Amino acid sequence: MTSVPIAADTAVPNPSLLARAIGFFSGPVGLAIKLVLLAVLNALAFWAVGVLLADQKWIAALAVGGATLLIDLVYLVPDKRLIPLKFLVPGMVFLVAFVVIPIVANANIAFTNWSTGHNLSKDEAIVAIQEVSLVAPADGASYVMTPAEQRGELVLLLVNEATGKPYVGTEDGLEPLSPANVTIANGAVTAAEGYELVQGEELAGIDQQLSTLLVPTGESSFVRAEGLSLAVELQPTLVYVAANDTFRNIETGVVYRDNGKGSYESVTGTTLEPGWRTHVGFENFVTVLTDPLVRDPFVRVFVWTFAYAFLSVFIQFVIGLFLAIVLNKPDLKLKRIQRAFLVLPFAIPAFLSVLVWAGLLNDEFGVINQTLGTNIPWLFDPTWAKVSCILVNVWIGFPYWFLVCTAALQAVPEELTEAARVDCAGPLQVFRRVTLRSCSSSRPRS
Amino acid sequence: MTTLEQAEAAAPRVAEATPGRRPLLAGNWWRYLVSLAAMAFALFPILYVVSAAFNPVDSLSGSGLIPDTVTLDNFRAILSGAPGEAGSSEAALDIPYKNWYVNMIFVSGATAVLSVFFGALAAYAFARYRFRGRRMGMMTLLLIQMFPTFLAVVAIYLIVLRVGRVFPAIGLDTLSGLILVYLGGVLGVNTWLMKGFMDSIPDSLDESARVDGATPSQVFWAIILPLATPVLAVIGLLSYIGTINEFIIASVLLDTTDKFTMSVGLYGFINDKYAQQWGTFCAGVVLAAIPVVVLFFFLQRYIAEGLTRGAVKG
Repeated sequence: MTSVPIAADTAVPNPSLLARAIGFFSGPVGLAIKLVLLAVLNALAFWAVGVLLADQKWIAALAVGGATLLIDLVYLVPDKRLIPLKFLVPGMVFLVAFVVIPIVANANIAFTNWSTGHNLSKDEAIVAIQEVSLVAPADGASYVMTPAEQRGELVLLLVNEATGKPYVGTEDGLEPLSPANVTIANGAVTAAEGYELVQGEELAGIDQQLSTLLVPTGESSFVRAEGLSLAVELQPTLVYVAANDTFRNIETGVVYRDNGKGSYESVTGTTLEPGWRTHVGFENFVTVLTDPLVRDPFVRVFVWTFAYAFLSVFIQFVIGLFLAIVLNKPDLKLKRIQRAFLVLPFAIPAFLSVLVWAGLLNDEFGVINQTLGTNIPWLFDPTWAKVSCILVNVWIGFPYWFLVCTAALQAVPEELTEAARVDCAGPLQVFRRVTLRSCSSSRPRS
Repeated sequence: MTTLEQAEAAAPRVAEATPGRRPLLAGNWWRYLVSLAAMAFALFPILYVVSAAFNPVDSLSGSGLIPDTVTLDNFRAILSGAPGEAGSSEAALDIPYKNWYVNMIFVSGATAVLSVFFGALAAYAFARYRFRGRRMGMMTLLLIQMFPTFLAVVAIYLIVLRVGRVFPAIGLDTLSGLILVYLGGVLGVNTWLMKGFMDSIPDSLDESARVDGATPSQVFWAIILPLATPVLAVIGLLSYIGTINEFIIASVLLDTTDKFTMSVGLYGFINDKYAQQWGTFCAGVVLAAIPVVVLFFFLQRYIAEGLTRGAVKG
């Protein structure tokens, strides 16, 4: 990327240098820089779209691809109307990605039930509900398991814990093994004819495969590995009926339907865990405004936030303006040093100031309580903490207003105040009617 | 100029005021007094921190304003990466202060340079071109940036989390991801300030360049950017300081101690052990503050100029 000439001289650039620079960058060189930058961007985007497609993130891939295409158009189509866009696009990309989208996403989340118990998508929730509903059947068996391979297929060599009989479990079902062909030690299969045991480090690699291998033992029951050396017979109590999007309890026959609020609910009102996240309209807003548990703290914080902001800025401004006026006297000595000292709090990064003040205001060891000989709980009593917040914020912020007000005051032509004084105006009148009016016009206008 | 007109309008009314009142506060003595009081308020926390940094007593309780002896032990402790009372087992605690320092400079520097650059590009478009939606665009920028970024921190976290699953290089717990999030703020109030400043650069300069055959981007690089240096310095400095100060987003996105920026790192450090390692902490504060303070005073003359000139000519 071309470097930014921040250190460039403030004087009007030397015309001959300028002409030479323009000559150099016009035509092929400028075009080459542009094309190289665009090519880099396109290469990155191409790669990103590839990764996104491989991850099956269609919308994201479309967004990245579309945005890149639009950027290319802006920079390559020679249309006069597109010139401003060329300069606006880089900033807008970041604005959209990290300000607009978060705000929209935030607003969107505000209308959902996203919370503990409603973290998943609906599809994930359906899988999770089935998983949660698994129980061992009344006559369910448990087995000591040894994973093994038969002709490259993963199988489970099982020894029934109750009977001690060996079995082999595959996707097709449970088959008894002839005891003559297997060696059993400590209740587990240690060798079997025709099977190759999965052992040692290989075990770690088949974790995923093991958990998905279901050995059917009945209509809905199956044997599944639990960990690396145990398998149990399991049976779901709930079955999902995709046709009408309901869950049915196998034993009781109770039907659970989608209640529109992110849960399956039975007629009697019981819901299945977990739920999923879905839009719930204004429910969250109603909660904030009506539930006293949420509303009261919210209102308290809300009001205090505004009071805090107002008080901080107001006091900062008053102190800053006052000091600026006091020091705005031509015949004052050491004015530069005084101003530099007063600006110092503004020059120090605020997060450092805040941490330091927290130490100064420490109720036990803090220098303020020790100097004053008081025992004020500056940071722990709710009221004192508010006072401390404003105090610290004023300390951090008054130099800014001092700077701004000083600049504004100095912009007031001296002839004006002089003229007012000649006309016998008192100092307060000069300030109110001349100085303040002159500087109150120095605010941004569009 | 408005100031003149207003003052002229105001002057006759001043003349009606009661004549011949003697000023209550003659002389300048009271100005010095007020200034002294204000300086005491402004300086005492700073003096206190500096003295604590050189004080051999490490704990908060034992540090007075004037240390008995001066030592550099605290600085050595914080830089060695293992602050603490010598010999205690917690002394070995992992405090990668140097990493935080580098991260702070890197993140803030990159954010400042890039936001000045992108912001200047946008300001140039707003200042020099008339296009449909220009005023709307500028108002929209202000409105959008009114929304405090930290309120959307949940959404930002989720976005970075998801992006990071696909592109780990800019995901959670990476400095590059953090910088990208910070760059969301490049268009906003700063664009207004820069645009205002660029408005005050005479049009005739770019015209003569355009007559010489300069393209829009050449006008930007060769004329506008060099002449806007004061405001660029101000915006760069403000965004540098602003990024150094940023705590909420950094603390949400960064996870490992090595990756912390200074604000997140020092906050965690001092939260753990306020009273015991006060001196070490103060040494860290002094070291962290020095580059910013120096930069600030170095660029101070630009600040007043940039803020007022950019603001007045909207």
